[in-house]
Amino acid sequence: MKKILPPEELARDARFVRVNIQDTIADPRQAKVSERNTGSAKLEPDRPAAADRARQLMHGIFMGEVQALEGAGRTTFDFTDEEVPFQLKLDMARQSWDESRHCEISVKLAEHMGTEIGEFAEATFLYEAACAPDALLRLTGVNRALEGLAIDVFNTMKLFGDHSGDPVLAACEDWMLADEVTHVKMGSDWLRRLTENDPERRELALEFQRTVDKLFSLGGFRGETDDNPIQLARRFRELAGFSTEEIDELSEVTAEAQAEAEAAAGVNKS
Amino acid sequence: MSEPRQPRAAFAPWDRRELPGIFGVEETARRVGNYKWIEMRLFEALGGWVATVPELDVKLVLGRHCYHHAWHSELWDKRLPELREMKTDRLTLPPNDEMIAFVDALREPEAPELTIEKLVGVYRVLLPHKIAAYTYHQNGSSRITDAPTIRSFGFILQDELEDWREGEMLLQSLIETPDEVERAANRQRELEKLIVAAGGIAGPGTIGGETGVPAPEGVAVG
Ligand SMILES: [Fe+2]
Ligand SMILES: [Fe+2]
Repeated sequence: MKKILPPEELARDARFVRVNIQDTIADPRQAKVSERNTGSAKLEPDRPAAADRARQLMHGIFMGEVQALEGAGRTTFDFTDEEVPFQLKLDMARQSWDESRHCEISVKLAEHMGTEIGEFAEATFLYEAACAPDALLRLTGVNRALEGLAIDVFNTMKLFGDHSGDPVLAACEDWMLADEVTHVKMGSDWLRRLTENDPERRELALEFQRTVDKLFSLGGFRGETDDNPIQLARRFRELAGFSTEEIDELSEVTAEAQAEAEAAAGVNKS
Repeated sequence: MSEPRQPRAAFAPWDRRELPGIFGVEETARRVGNYKWIEMRLFEALGGWVATVPELDVKLVLGRHCYHHAWHSELWDKRLPELREMKTDRLTLPPNDEMIAFVDALREPEAPELTIEKLVGVYRVLLPHKIAAYTYHQNGSSRITDAPTIRSFGFILQDELEDWREGEMLLQSLIETPDEVERAANRQRELEKLIVAAGGIAGPGTIGGETGVPAPEGVAVG
């Protein structure tokens, strides 16, 4: 088996449908959707489309979990004993098990919420960040940026479960949230340990994280205002080793991403 | 009522633990180093294969088993300094070049249609050999002098046996035609030859026989 398996070679059964996320974002219909004034974008039970949106999000979470599992698994394999510390490999193996459980939880929750594997398409952006040739970039791009996004998503879903009277959803999301805090903390800890005497490498890794963070604030998908369906989960990010300054910086990044998306769509917020 | 000051034997009548075991400290450390090495190569392979298998249930099981073997390697890594090897990397080794050849062949399949070949290597060849090696070492060790190693064998063997059963059931569910039976048998034959050439996961003498192992240390008590 070769090192570094490209995203197009991810193995899937016949149910899965692959899309390119750039195509989705560039879809001209997106601008039309943005023009509609539907009030707060938060995932709240009283929104007419809330159930559909939650189902779609759940399917997206499932696909993210599959790729997180695949990415963590590849990181145990892609690097030699000389390239990464033994303990880092052990952490990635532990993450593989956690993500495997998250897949199981997500499949059951997806059924519980009325969707099924393949109803929505799969984009491979998470796994793509897990193909970085430097393990440190994987730890910032995947563990800190994308697993950080998972913290925000799970917290949002947990609150949706609470507000919509679905204790099964809320409880399961809370368990996954606990694991994701652990995974983000792995990223924070390894970033500190691997770059203790190398500020330049640290800056490069953080730059990669910022790029991924901005890309996956997905034009206003995540933030701290009513316009963002996914809310930034400050408390859990602190537990996972983010400083207040880092969270503030991320908040600015999300606001920028939203402003750029609105400008591109010609939305006039008055 | 018993008299508290009445002398009692150190060992209760039902406690039949004995001294010594069949391996000394050095030979135990060498074997533990071999065990850690094979656990590492195995958990890496399972982790790497997750992305290459299309069968969803297999994908999820590989992710879980990957961690089991990583944890085993961690237990062995922690045991090595207690066996006087402070630089654990020094003993984290294959027993011989034949073992490297076996592991290279084991980890070679990649294509999505080769799930049977991947699983046969792990669940019909390597795990049975690990179970045999660990059982031999466990049964041959003194439950007094080498109790920490034996305690690890207990945890590890429980995982190995459960994982072997789960992997075997996945294989039985995947092997449906005479052609697939052939594929599985061919793969097993090919890999079994290689691991036999290596002498097992700790080299010749993995489960006894001609070992070249030094005479046991300690005093015979019993
Ligand atoms: Fe996860
Ligand atoms: Fe995760």
